Amino acid sequence: MYKLRKWTWWFGFYLLIGLAMIFILFPIYWMVTTSVKPPLEYATRNPTWFPQHPTLAHYRSLVEQKAYRYFLNTLVVSLSATVISLVVGLMAAYALARYRFPARLDLLFLLWVLLVRMAPPVVIAIPLYTTLRTLNLLNTLFGLVISYQVYTLPYSIWMLLGFVRDVPIEIEEAAAIDGASKLRTLRSIVLPLVGPGLVATAIFNMIMTWNEFIYALLFLRTPAAFTLPIHIANYITEYEILWGELMAIGLLSSLPMLLLSGYVQRYLLRGFALQLK
Amino acid sequence: MRRFWASKPLGVEGVRPRAAPPCFRLSMVHKRPHMRSWYERHLNFFLLLPALIIIIFLTIYPIVNVIYLSFYRYNYLRGVKALVGVDNYLRLSGDWLFLQGLKNTFLFSITATIMEVLLGLGLALLFNVRFRGRKWLLPAAIFPMMLSTMVVCAIWRSMYHYDYGILNHLLSLIGLGRVKWLIDPALALWSVVLVDIWQWTPMAFLILLAGLQSIPRELYEAAQVDGATGFKLFRHITLPLLRNHLMLAFLLRSIDTFKIFDKVYALTGGGPGTATETISFYIYREGFRYFNMGRASAAAVVMFLAVGTVTAFYIRQVLRRNYV
Repeated sequence: MYKLRKWTWWFGFYLLIGLAMIFILFPIYWMVTTSVKPPLEYATRNPTWFPQHPTLAHYRSLVEQKAYRYFLNTLVVSLSATVISLVVGLMAAYALARYRFPARLDLLFLLWVLLVRMAPPVVIAIPLYTTLRTLNLLNTLFGLVISYQVYTLPYSIWMLLGFVRDVPIEIEEAAAIDGASKLRTLRSIVLPLVGPGLVATAIFNMIMTWNEFIYALLFLRTPAAFTLPIHIANYITEYEILWGELMAIGLLSSLPMLLLSGYVQRYLLRGFALQLK
Repeated sequence: MRRFWASKPLGVEGVRPRAAPPCFRLSMVHKRPHMRSWYERHLNFFLLLPALIIIIFLTIYPIVNVIYLSFYRYNYLRGVKALVGVDNYLRLSGDWLFLQGLKNTFLFSITATIMEVLLGLGLALLFNVRFRGRKWLLPAAIFPMMLSTMVVCAIWRSMYHYDYGILNHLLSLIGLGRVKWLIDPALALWSVVLVDIWQWTPMAFLILLAGLQSIPRELYEAAQVDGATGFKLFRHITLPLLRNHLMLAFLLRSIDTFKIFDKVYALTGGGPGTATETISFYIYREGFRYFNMGRASAAAVVMFLAVGTVTAFYIRQVLRRNYV
């Protein structure tokens, strides 16, 4: 890190960083304030910069519309998708980190998974739609959980691979010498040691699935099964300027994710296979 | 099965473990391969199996299926399915809408990527300075990428509104005219680009910040002793050492922006006219509104190949650095 010397430098520096932060934070400020403004203050040619008559009416009407259903749906989907990915991903990551596979199958698998992670979701959506339809999983949250594995599983495998490799193999050997079976080593040695990695991976999976849009749009048709992003999208496209409620639900749905941003900033790079240090 | 301590002493020659713990028999380290059970020998496959099944079911099968479907005329609703060969691809190459989508996607992807990496670099350079409040501003600076794209679109759509939007209000305060952000065909695509820049610059920023912090201070000090200052330090030390991270940011952002769908869906719906048509949106419309699965699949194959080419570069980077 750098340290500046002259005060003129500091002046320019704070000016720049102030401008950048205004550009970054103003839309969020706008969301927060609009959500507590009465319509008279935002549906006008002279919107107020600061809410003059703050009101919680929009939040109340959200409760009346039972918007918490969408929260519940989203929570169920993202939690289950995350748990499945963590369990399956950790097993796979351990196998890939610790064993040799014939004909470099492990490398092939990892690269394929990486390719999948980068592939556009719409490409896979077409046949997935047909498959889910034949399995009668269209319109169900379970079907959505399964399709989310397209995003979360490749991500979890790559991220956990790095964390498993960081566990010194000597500890596992010591456990084996003390007589632990392989599964027991996994449970009592590897699992606690990759604990922080699991938490980080879980958080990233949660964010991804919480915010996911395309598959939810394509695979869910009945409002009862909608997740938050779909509900918000309908709000945007159907009611032109019910901004108060829109911003209220937007803010509520973003709060849990905003609280996690400290984590993301620390672990982001690990998920991209290039752990340039 | 023979007991371990009955066959050979452990460790130091001739010293036998005095009291073997009861679980000692389970030890695998000292079992020879032929003594391990079939299950133990193939544990690696068992561990990988669930992931393998899910990946095959969710990706390999669908991708094979997409390629297969792209050679058929297949309408889901009418139940028509007929082999038409490369007809779908030929029609695509003559489809004005698809070509427009291709052009817009490239324009969008290139502009957004370049802007995001440049702005991200600027921001990373700022945050590479030690200043008061850095600890609090850093998480705040990545707020945009934590928001759901739909929330982002909601905010920006309200700010872009022709009559009631804050941006137009701001412009009229300075004495400039109102701008038709999302309504003007010449401007709509760039308005969407701006939203993407706002949301994803933090991503490039984080990647580049990590790169900057990995450059050892001593290099700068050494260069300063040699008389280098300011821009020269940046040009001859920062940039070359940041090459990998810049590459990573470019690749990841271009792959990501190439898929642009949700912003187009929520902000403009592909319009006005065809001004913000993109490939993803084309596939969505053909496949899920008109149910022309064959045509949509052909477009999907084209898109997959395009993204795959860029991803190949990325994978080459991964391989070259021996991170596998």
